[in-house]
Order: sequence, then structure tokens, then C-alpha cells
Amino acid sequence: MKRKCLFLSGLLFGLLTIQTQAQGQFEVGITGGYNKNYVHTSAGARTFAKYDSRSGFVVGIPVRYTFNNWLAVQAEPSYIQKNYRYERSNFFDGIYQNNTNSYVQLPLMAHFSFGGDKLKGFFNAGGYGAYWVNGRIKGTMANIFDAGDPIPDDKPIDNYFQLNKPYNYNEKYAFDSRRDRRMEFGLLAGAGVEYLLSQRFRFFVEGRYYYSLTDQQKDYMVNQVPRYNDTYVIQAGCLFNLRKLFHHAAPAETAK
Amino acid sequence: MKHLKKYIIALVALSAVIISSCRKEIPQLNRPEDYVAANFNEVFDAYWTGMNNNYVFWDIDTTDWDRVYKTYKPLFAKLNLYDEKDVRKSYTYFKEMTAGLVDSHYDLSFRDQDLMNDSGSISPAFERKVKSPDYHPSIRNVSLYHFYDTIPRKYLDPTWKRGFTNLPNDQVIGVAGTINQNILYFYFSGFNLTDLYNDSTNATNRFRLAEKYFFDLLQSTPNIKGIILDVRGNGGGSLADLDFLLGRMIDKPLHFGYTRSKQGNGRLDYSPWAPAYVKPQPGAKAVAAPIVVLADAWSVSMAEITTMAVKTLPNGHFVGERTWGGNGPLTGNKFYQGGQFTTGFFNLVYTSSLMFKNLDGKIYEGVGYPPEKEVKFNAAALKSGRDMQLEAAIGLIR
Repeated sequence: MKRKCLFLSGLLFGLLTIQTQAQGQFEVGITGGYNKNYVHTSAGARTFAKYDSRSGFVVGIPVRYTFNNWLAVQAEPSYIQKNYRYERSNFFDGIYQNNTNSYVQLPLMAHFSFGGDKLKGFFNAGGYGAYWVNGRIKGTMANIFDAGDPIPDDKPIDNYFQLNKPYNYNEKYAFDSRRDRRMEFGLLAGAGVEYLLSQRFRFFVEGRYYYSLTDQQKDYMVNQVPRYNDTYVIQAGCLFNLRKLFHHAAPAETAK
Repeated sequence: MKHLKKYIIALVALSAVIISSCRKEIPQLNRPEDYVAANFNEVFDAYWTGMNNNYVFWDIDTTDWDRVYKTYKPLFAKLNLYDEKDVRKSYTYFKEMTAGLVDSHYDLSFRDQDLMNDSGSISPAFERKVKSPDYHPSIRNVSLYHFYDTIPRKYLDPTWKRGFTNLPNDQVIGVAGTINQNILYFYFSGFNLTDLYNDSTNATNRFRLAEKYFFDLLQSTPNIKGIILDVRGNGGGSLADLDFLLGRMIDKPLHFGYTRSKQGNGRLDYSPWAPAYVKPQPGAKAVAAPIVVLADAWSVSMAEITTMAVKTLPNGHFVGERTWGGNGPLTGNKFYQGGQFTTGFFNLVYTSSLMFKNLDGKIYEGVGYPPEKEVKFNAAALKSGRDMQLEAAIGLIR
């Protein structure tokens, strides 16, 4: 399967690169946005426990090479958070952990656009590679060596923290090289609109989906429950046409 | 160009469909108690999965649980649950599978008591202890009389008090008194201190006499020169006793270690380390005099935790032998998402719910906590009525 994946990716890239045209233009810009990350996994048979999505943000530097009026390739080195939450419910309500995971990511995509000269719609499709740079865990757990206050015999107990008091933590995530896989690869797809403000600037808004193909964990145990990131991004940004920004256009061109 | 555009879009769509199937499937995980123990395949799967997801020491354990799976799953598949010989063979397999587990609370007890009554439960730590070159029986088993009679008559001032209380599965013995009027001594065979102290209306609860006497001495003795807490042969018990006992000797919280639990199904999925404290009891005053714990190779669980807590005090000391090495706290599986569980075949897979780390950053599970002043078990001296370990504790205070 992996060979097939590589072959298809290579074929796609090849088809795109042979499209190089003399009139191609090079743009670079800045983008940023909000994201929601879902961890695709299972809490299994753990009692009153579940994984949940969390929001984060992304900032990136899109670099686009346009071949013609409908096709471009784009790279977008980015910083992106892929966060999630683990929490317990019912009697264990209040026990949770927020994982804030920071990645440096390089999406590579084909950019298909359609529409008018100024306002265009577009689709992006491609893949990405990411490196899990660091993480932070913030949460509350019960502390077995911090007993709750005495409870009268005739009083019901509503929450586990009455038995063992909560311990709040907010600390750097300690990577375990036996378990944590810090490289992540996956697919992306996006759609949006862009507006050509002038020959120099182009603004865009885009919704994008990152679909990880890499388990966050190495294969270190039999019957392992994998964890995959599914990240939905809403972002906006602008692109600058470098040639037109730094090299003033020729008089003949401006007369047009 | 138009054709190329179509091809590229088709290729992108095809790639997305094919590549998206590269994800691994999420296995269905079931609770070990929900497997139907109708054949040895199910018996093995229930136990192996229960351990895979609930055992808290995979981080430090050297047992290769994947290798266990690959080796023993086919062997269990050949066994017949309704053949007595095969059931006995399974006992041997389970013993081999668990032999290296570091958890020194670990105990496998079987539902079929009739079939297994001559084999008993499987306790890897006990097996290792018996085979170790330093092995000696617990003083409690050699002579409980030593604590109950020899020590009070030979070493304590005549005002000593002693008593015992019979519990459903145990008998708890307590002896309290003074040595030279100013060294307090308290022996207790189990950690049921809070419950038995609060059980003040039960006339058969004679343990409370000794316990209350010790606490009264702690309050009323002027110029305490030292305290000896004797937990030799003590198998542990209630965590609440830590505050109840040591919380009377401190006036501010004592940070002595850390615990962490499972947090997820992966073997290496853990919560962060939470600090472990002893909290002072209302009205407690700090004891400045030396507090000496007497512990030995049969001091387990709360006896070890108490020893480590005392040792973090500036005036805390530990005399005796390296402890048993089973110091992970235990509670119900649902509370900390790991630890002990049952299956259709096992009455109980008794295993720690959390991992304990001492304040010095070391985990003593499986190896035991070493004494500051080592005094080995001396059977000959005990037989002649001398307690070399107690004498060393008294000497350290003097």
C-alpha cells in the first residue's frame, strides 16, 4: 500500500512539474487561521473516558508558483497546533487533560483555480510532512495521596474529588522515544476564494483539511490503539507577486 | 491541456481514495471481565489484554509482553479447558508468563479453588523472595510471640500495652510503650490504624488499646528522645493511615514522593507525576527527636511507603533490611484507569493501581527500599530473646 501511495504521489508531482511555462509567476505571502483538531482514536473500555477535539491556530508562509490561469503549485511552511483533550465524565467529572501539540509542517499542494480575473475560486490538493516539535499538557487528576475531607456517613458522594483531592498540572510534555512518533505525513485538501487586489497583491480565504496517515505512536505493542490527527483549518492570507513588488513594471506594461 | 486537466483531477481524487486507506484500523478493546471463559483462547485473551491495558509498570518492567503473546497464545489454543491436565498445564504457563513481573504486589488467584487448591495463587515476587540467597521467613511467622511478649517484657517499661483484633481475613496486633521513659515504641502488624481507632465501641477491638496508648504518649510525653515505629513483617493496608499516623508528628505537609497512573490504553500512556504528601493532623506538633522506622524484607506496601515518608524527614531514620519492594498503591480499577481486574478464569489479578516514585527520584518497585543502617535478620539472637534490629534502633536514638 505504501508503495502505491508513493507511486501516485510521484506521478502527480511529475505531471505538475512538466507543466512549467515561460509565463509562470512566483508569489510569496503570509497566512494564519484557526483550526480544530480531532484525534482519531478510541478510549477503548476505559470507564467514563473519551477523547475530544480542541482548537488551535496556524501561521504559515505560502509560496506559490503559477503555471497558467488554472494551475499552480504551492508550498506553505507553517507552525500549526494539533490539540486534543482527554476527559472523564459522571462521577469522575473534572478529570481532564488538554494536550497542546506544536508542529512545524510543510504542506505541498497543487492549486486549481477557476473563475474571473479578479475573483477566483480554488481547490488545493496535496500532501504534507510535519514534525512534532513540542507539547504541553494541562489538566486535573485525582491525587491518591491527598485525601478529601471527611464525609459524614449519611452524606452521598457526588464526585471523586471528594475522596481524593484534585491535582492541577500544567507542564511540558515529556516525549518518550519508545512510543512517540514525531514525524507525521498525510494528505490535505482545501477550497477557498481569492481576490486579486492589484497585480502585486492577492488575498484569499480557505478552508483546509489535513488528514494524517501517520500514527502518533510507533508500533511498540500488540493490539495498539492508533492515534491520528484530523485537522480542520479556516485561514486567510495574502500573496505578494515578488517580481512586481520589487521590480517596477516597464512603462509599456503600465500603459496597458 | 484540457485533457491534462481532467487527468490531474482524476488522479488527485484517486490518490486521495487510495492513500486514505493507509490508516490502521482501531482494534476493539473489551474489558477483561467481559470475555466468556468457555475455552482457553478466551481465557488467554482476557488475561493478556487485561494486562496489556491495565498493568501500570510497563514503563520499567523487563517482561516482553508481545513475546509472551506470540509464545503463549498458540500454546493456550491447544489446551482444553475441561481437561484437568490441561488446566494444570495452564497454571504452569501463567507462572512462566508472570515470573519476571516487577510488580511485587502481583498475585493471580483462580476462580476454580477446588482444582487449584493444592497450587495456590501465583505470586512472582514471593517466588523470587524464596529463591533469593538472603531469604528468611518473616519474624511474624517465626514467632509472633516475639512482638507480643518478648519485646514488651524485655525492652519496654512496665507500663506497656498490647492487644489484638480479629478481622475477617487477618489478625492485627499492636504493642506500645516506652523505653527508658522517653523513647516511644509502637509495633503494629497491619495498616488498619484509622478504622480500628475509630471503632471505639467494639469491646473486642483490643488493638485500639495499644494504638490509643501510643497516641496518648505522643501527646503527653515531655522531652521525647525518640520514636520507634516497628513495621517489620507488616503487610500494609490503608493509605489513610499515613496521615493518621505520621500526620501527628509533623506540623506542615511532608512531600515524600510522587505517583502516576495509566491514562489511556497504551502500555506507555501515563498521567504526569502527582506529588505525594503526608498532611499534618489537626493540633499536631512537629517531633524534633529522631523517628526511626524498623522495617525488614517482609515490610510491604504501606509499610514501605511509611518508611520512605519517614526517611524524608530531617530527623527520620530507617534501620533493618531492604524492604519487600511492592510500593505501588492499590484501589479499584475504575478510579485510576488501571491496576487490578478480574476475568472469568481469575478470581482477581491483584496488581498495583499506580506507580510510586520516591522523593529521591528512584522507583523501588521490585527492588525494595534500602535501610540507612542495615541489621540482618538473626534467627539465633531471636531465639535467645534478643532483637538486634530493635537494639540498633535504640542505639541510634541514644
